[in-house]
Amino acid sequence: MTATVIVDVCAAGIVAIGVLLAVTRSIGRSIWLVAGQSTLGAVAAIGVGVSLGLAHLVVGGALALVAKAVIYPLVLRTMLRASSVAVERRSYVGPRLSLVAAIAIVFAAGVATADLTLDSSLGGARALPAAIAAMLTGLFLMMSRRKALSLLIGLLVFENGLALAAFALTYGMPLVVELGILFDLLIVIVVGWVYARRMLRVFGSLSTDELRSLRG
Amino acid sequence: MTTVAVLAILLPVPVAALIWFAPDRLAGRFAVLVLAIGATGSLGLALPALFDAPVRAFDGIVVLDAFGAFVLVIVIGVAAIAVVASPAYLRHEVALRPRDRARYWALMVWFIGGLSTVPLFDSLGLLWVAIEATTIVAALLVGFSRTPAAIEAAWKYVILGSVGIGFALLGTLLAYASSVRVLGETSDALAWTRLVSIAGSLDPGLVRLAFLFALVGYGTKIGLAPFHTWLPDAHSQAPGPVSALLSGATLAISLYALVRFHLVAVGTLGLAFSSTLLVAFGLLSLAVALPFIVAQGDLKRLLAYSSIEHMGLGALALGFGGPVALGGLALHLLAHGLTKASLFVAGGGLVEAGRSRRIARLSGSLSSDPVDARAFLGGSLLLSGLPPSALFASEIAILFGGFTVGWGIAAGAASILLALTAAGFLFHVGRVCFGSSRRAAGPAPGPARLRGIGLALPLVAVVVLGIWTPDPVSEVVGRVVTVLGGGGG
Repeated sequence: MTATVIVDVCAAGIVAIGVLLAVTRSIGRSIWLVAGQSTLGAVAAIGVGVSLGLAHLVVGGALALVAKAVIYPLVLRTMLRASSVAVERRSYVGPRLSLVAAIAIVFAAGVATADLTLDSSLGGARALPAAIAAMLTGLFLMMSRRKALSLLIGLLVFENGLALAAFALTYGMPLVVELGILFDLLIVIVVGWVYARRMLRVFGSLSTDELRSLRG
Repeated sequence: MTTVAVLAILLPVPVAALIWFAPDRLAGRFAVLVLAIGATGSLGLALPALFDAPVRAFDGIVVLDAFGAFVLVIVIGVAAIAVVASPAYLRHEVALRPRDRARYWALMVWFIGGLSTVPLFDSLGLLWVAIEATTIVAALLVGFSRTPAAIEAAWKYVILGSVGIGFALLGTLLAYASSVRVLGETSDALAWTRLVSIAGSLDPGLVRLAFLFALVGYGTKIGLAPFHTWLPDAHSQAPGPVSALLSGATLAISLYALVRFHLVAVGTLGLAFSSTLLVAFGLLSLAVALPFIVAQGDLKRLLAYSSIEHMGLGALALGFGGPVALGGLALHLLAHGLTKASLFVAGGGLVEAGRSRRIARLSGSLSSDPVDARAFLGGSLLLSGLPPSALFASEIAILFGGFTVGWGIAAGAASILLALTAAGFLFHVGRVCFGSSRRAAGPAPGPARLRGIGLALPLVAVVVLGIWTPDPVSEVVGRVVTVLGGGGG
């Protein structure tokens, strides 16, 4: 009982933060929001793990908490301070239209997963619509934004959705696999950071508008 | 013995960290030594798997069947070409800073070591982790030269590669969800051998979704249209030896991952579902590559689009199925890997010597850079599927196989697209090799004879395989076809 409540609350929070991210133009605030979203995902895993006595969920959740709610946001903040851009000024899609799109995504995710029959013993299956919504919101953020940092934030939202899907579909995979996934995602952010720094040095900005020379 | 071989294959990845901190002049030797140990281990594990039975180690975490072993051998062959070409690249790269040599070798060791671990794992989850790890290190190598264009290509690769591989993870999760219902929450619920054996009792809805996401995810890594947009950028901006690995080995490895999902999907849903999708995306890739090859002005992008074409043909062969087309697929992966790797090395040499990627500016290369240009011309003729190339044999087998199993229209369309693409490709190659050169003959990159032999060996192998199939090779191809046909290894 408590497990389902935790999952429901966290899934709802993850979706709500996704919508908020779609309308936020300040990159600093976006970093806070995505950190909060990662925290909710980790809390869901830890909470369910504790209430059902599944140790590997607690370990995986705790590691996710450290990596995605603390380390990633810190890395992103360092990059933000080094860059002169703090606001996503001219995104491809304006804030109002983004709000409409984000809400449409939530509904679409609900409809798409409605007739998917998942085993009831996997209680987390109810979080699947939220997971798909978060993944699609992340993709939408990556497609509609211009700044390198915003793209990395979109990638994190996508990964949060993916992690929730992992949890919803399976209640966690074997721990080796989970550790590998977490480690790989950590390096992805580091590599993104390395290239964002190089872009800053070579182009003088973090805007992906500069990246238009390769065509055809 | 098996355990030692597995440890030898796993060795390069941790050692790469040490090479990162090694002095520049020692890093290369250290790297070659470690890679040689890894290659020995790979061959030690692959040979019994190719000629005898699937090899198991570490409680069934490691399972290498004939197809995995075959792909492993391709990786070793392509890696050898890339490693031999690396010193010349490092001599010619102008933007090198102190310590960059050590970093280059460290990343190469990590990349090649990572690629060789992919076919080892039975678990689809660990398979994903290994592929993701190679994606990350490849991103670092793509932007190695630090030019604005290289940074752009690497950035696109990081972003698109991560999203693609994210979808592949979702496919893996769905596969896990489908098998947990049958097997319960055991640690081997992601083991591919288990999944295939219970494929008949898996939930069709979940497996269908799992294959779709795996197709999008690993399809992005294979460079299937329309998920291919990062590929021409990354393959053209990376250093020559890295492009060789990306095109020759990474694409084959990604196709290997997709094959695993395809075979589970065939077991659960029958042939029609995943085969039709593979044929459709394969044909689309052939059709998308054609105009970009015909109108191409950049030498390395020409080679990159040709990789999209050849991987499209690979997906097509997998979709056709049947022993003839699948045998063609095995031969095609091997011959394409060797030929394309040599072409990227030779083409990279031409680009470095001519200081331009533009095809129009490189004309007359045969007189100015005879060693690289001869290899480039020969390799291009082989790649275009002209006899006596092994690619001629493999393409005929794939198309003929398609006709015999009822994919006549698709095979017919593919043969027209292939012929047009080959004509467009060779036209550009002719422009590069013949004509009058704008430059005087320069020194070949590195000792000319050694480089010539290094480039010629794989091409000669492709010619030999095109004329004559030794008994061991046909035996190996037969075993690979058995795995690809869903018959176990």
